[in-house]
Amino acid sequence: MEITGDHHFKAPRDKVWQALLDRQALQASMPGCERFEEVSPESYDLTIRVGIAAIKGTYTGNVQVKDLDEARQTYRLLVAGSGKPGHVQGDAVMHLTDIPGGTLVSYTGEVKAQGAIARLGSRLLGGAAKLMIGQFFKAMEKQVEARTT
Amino acid sequence: MTSTEPRLIPKLMGARVKRKEDPRLIQGRGTYVDDVKLPGMLHAAFKRSDIAHGRIVSIDTSAAEAMPGVELVLTGAQLAQHLPPQPVMTPFPAPPHHAITPDVVRFQGEPYAVVIATDRYIARDAADAIVAEIEPLPVLVDPEAAMQPGAPQIHEGFANNVAIFIPAGTGVDQAAGTVNNAAIEAAFAQADVVISQRMINHRLAPTPIEPRGIVAHWEPGKEALTIWASTQSAHLFKGFIAGLLGLGEDQVRVIAPEVGGGFGAKLIYGEDYAISAISRMLGQPVKWIEDRSEAFMTTSHGRGILGYIDIAARRDGKVLGVKARLIADIGAYETLFTAAIPTLTNGMLSGVYDIPAIRAELTEVFTNKTPTDAYRGAGRPEGIYFIERAMDMLARELQMDPAELRRRNFIQPHQFPFATQAGNLYDSGDYEKALDKALEISGWESLKAERDAARAEGRVVGLGMSFYVEICGVGGWEHASVTVQKDGRVVATTGTSPHGQGHETTFAQMLGDQLGVPIEHITVLHGDTAIVRQGTGTFGSRSQVAGGTVLMMAGEKVRDRMASFASHMMDANPADLAFENGRIFVKGSPGSGKTFAEVAGYAYMGAGTAAMSGMAYPPDAQPGLSEEAFWEPGGAGTFPFGCHIALVEIDRDTGELELRRMIAVDDCGTIINPLIVEGQVHGGLAQGIGQAMVEEVVYDEDGQLITGSFMDYAMPRASDFPMFEMDKTVTLSPHTPLGTKGVGEAGTIGSTPCIVNATVDALSPFGVKHIDMMLRPERLWAIINTNGGQA
Repeated sequence: MEITGDHHFKAPRDKVWQALLDRQALQASMPGCERFEEVSPESYDLTIRVGIAAIKGTYTGNVQVKDLDEARQTYRLLVAGSGKPGHVQGDAVMHLTDIPGGTLVSYTGEVKAQGAIARLGSRLLGGAAKLMIGQFFKAMEKQVEARTT
Repeated sequence: MTSTEPRLIPKLMGARVKRKEDPRLIQGRGTYVDDVKLPGMLHAAFKRSDIAHGRIVSIDTSAAEAMPGVELVLTGAQLAQHLPPQPVMTPFPAPPHHAITPDVVRFQGEPYAVVIATDRYIARDAADAIVAEIEPLPVLVDPEAAMQPGAPQIHEGFANNVAIFIPAGTGVDQAAGTVNNAAIEAAFAQADVVISQRMINHRLAPTPIEPRGIVAHWEPGKEALTIWASTQSAHLFKGFIAGLLGLGEDQVRVIAPEVGGGFGAKLIYGEDYAISAISRMLGQPVKWIEDRSEAFMTTSHGRGILGYIDIAARRDGKVLGVKARLIADIGAYETLFTAAIPTLTNGMLSGVYDIPAIRAELTEVFTNKTPTDAYRGAGRPEGIYFIERAMDMLARELQMDPAELRRRNFIQPHQFPFATQAGNLYDSGDYEKALDKALEISGWESLKAERDAARAEGRVVGLGMSFYVEICGVGGWEHASVTVQKDGRVVATTGTSPHGQGHETTFAQMLGDQLGVPIEHITVLHGDTAIVRQGTGTFGSRSQVAGGTVLMMAGEKVRDRMASFASHMMDANPADLAFENGRIFVKGSPGSGKTFAEVAGYAYMGAGTAAMSGMAYPPDAQPGLSEEAFWEPGGAGTFPFGCHIALVEIDRDTGELELRRMIAVDDCGTIINPLIVEGQVHGGLAQGIGQAMVEEVVYDEDGQLITGSFMDYAMPRASDFPMFEMDKTVTLSPHTPLGTKGVGEAGTIGSTPCIVNATVDALSPFGVKHIDMMLRPERLWAIINTNGGQA
């Protein structure tokens, strides 16, 4: 399932870029995050608790930042997690651009599911992913604010 | 057999007798498998694969085993040491299919381990705690891609994933293995018109209201296994369990209590063998009840046949030949009848038409999906769908009324028995009569005018017709017994084990007329192999033809014994006796005579007791009034038929398809209970229309089932339908003493192409000649609203 969207930060692009790639900011922004361990630079193991309808459950998995391109202000975010309801995989390209009064972070990617999530939740998956991405950016906004003030 | 006819005066037969089963069922007093609760009963949960294809690297069951209440955890490899692979009921080669896979998972939902615990929820939690490493293998979802050379292999020994390839029809000698194309090529060479179309008859989930379930109880002292199972055939079930567990059939008793629907999908499965074997290992009763998610994933699917259809005709409408290249997407394994079902599609390609040359080439292909097997109609709906869509396309091409085109090609009544080029021997038929009746009650000509007037107003309205024939009564022999008890009441057993068809009522009506007994005095028992001595089961619309006929044969023998005892009591000639309302009397003197209880009391007395009571016993008579019979239907099946007509309208703004009228004229031969027959047709119509309009099993490209609940797999509802307008014609079968033919699957077979034909008619002003099911509003909307919605 394809997922695209964007979020408007009221902060300069370099601040947003730094926050998005910062370990502490990432950990603090992951919705329902119960465990966050750095495996290697830009790769983290984590445990996340999700409380949304058919995909409710505790997921253990991994987040990776790849193809970091500071000049073009893009990177790839790979997310994979498994829990009782099944397995979820996300693969998104993030892109930062300057806009008047701040920074626009746009993302375009794909979410795949296996198991009960696919059977029962495929209809909900897009909505749930959007909701969690929204929560992530909201929290990240606070991290950016904390870093700029 | 013909001797029953003159003596039989239908009183109960043909009457709208309310079902004896219904009071207990609608009051919630039926007993289903899940209602069976035994002391010490354990519960099972299966660990199922989340991916569609993968090799098992390791399974860690330690966490599951450590959970309190868990009695046993078995992997597929461990169970395979106790249980050989499952058998199939077809003559075709089949790859090994273990109850629980020991090495490779081949579809999402395939089990690779099982947990037995003291409670269903503990079992399920423990199954969740099993951790497996499964190395993903390439997933095949599209059967046409799966059969390409070089495609990944799902099973060893089945090159290009082809399970079987079967040519059939004109010029094919299956015994000799030769194919001669001369006749079929000549037919196409002579044609004025040839139409070719790729058509999909998509996968469906049978979704009976009661999912599958089993309680298996091995009693170590008796060395006997008692099983309660939701199955369409307790006897087939018993034979298979005994065979695979290495037991005598006498050591296995199978009880099919109330069965909440089957539709062909409830015979026997891997879970049944596994639970039976585990109960024997533990010496304790074990229960497994399928949940709805498991039902969508693992109860066999139906249909799933892709057809490349060519039809050749003269300009006057005479069909000269049909070619069909069929690709059946059978899923990951062959279950009981999997490989046989699509061969029935081959056999139905003649429809109701006298087609001089037919060639079918069927390829059955493995894919990483749930296996397919019988589903209401089982191969016949697909065949009728293809020929009826082709006939409709031909009518449109020739600009001929579809009713007229069909009329010009019908097999005529004097041609029966008729051997079709597709390989079936039709028993009897009067197709024109059913067509005329359907045209009359639908008001065909005025419907056409109504459609045209609606179109002139800018509405999207279509009129469609289909004509089906199908095969009933196959599946071999059947058994019945009839006993008049000492109290004069009648108890019968039938080997056809119902799952909603109303055998207890229909069979009681038949016996009531045959023996002259009120229906309240008759009990029909079924579905318990300890009570019903032998049987085959209920599938393929065979119960009335096979089960009903053999029941009458047993009943006839009992009636003869009754007559013999009664004639001795009354000093009358047996031929002069009448059986009526629970009494036996000399014809013309209903006031005298004996009650059933009196005759039965005498029959069970025995000569010794009779002599002590001062009554003479018939010379050489042995006591008792209990008889049984076996019978295998002769001929090659019975062939009911019918004509369906639909009027549909599509909302221009939403694409929503509304079925405005549905007319069904069905001919199933003699009708025993019109209420039950109408109910069967209603249900069949709903399922057939459901396929066209709302039901579809969908997998994503990774083999993930994304229609895994009723949120995504739509079932038709009453509000989707108009009142069905139904009528009948009656054409007797020469193969059954009462002329019955069978009706269980009829409605499902005729209604699907009818809806699609009507929808294509509605969309024809937009240039549409064919549309594949299911008829999603978004697709219909897109067709109507491209070109600015202008026709």
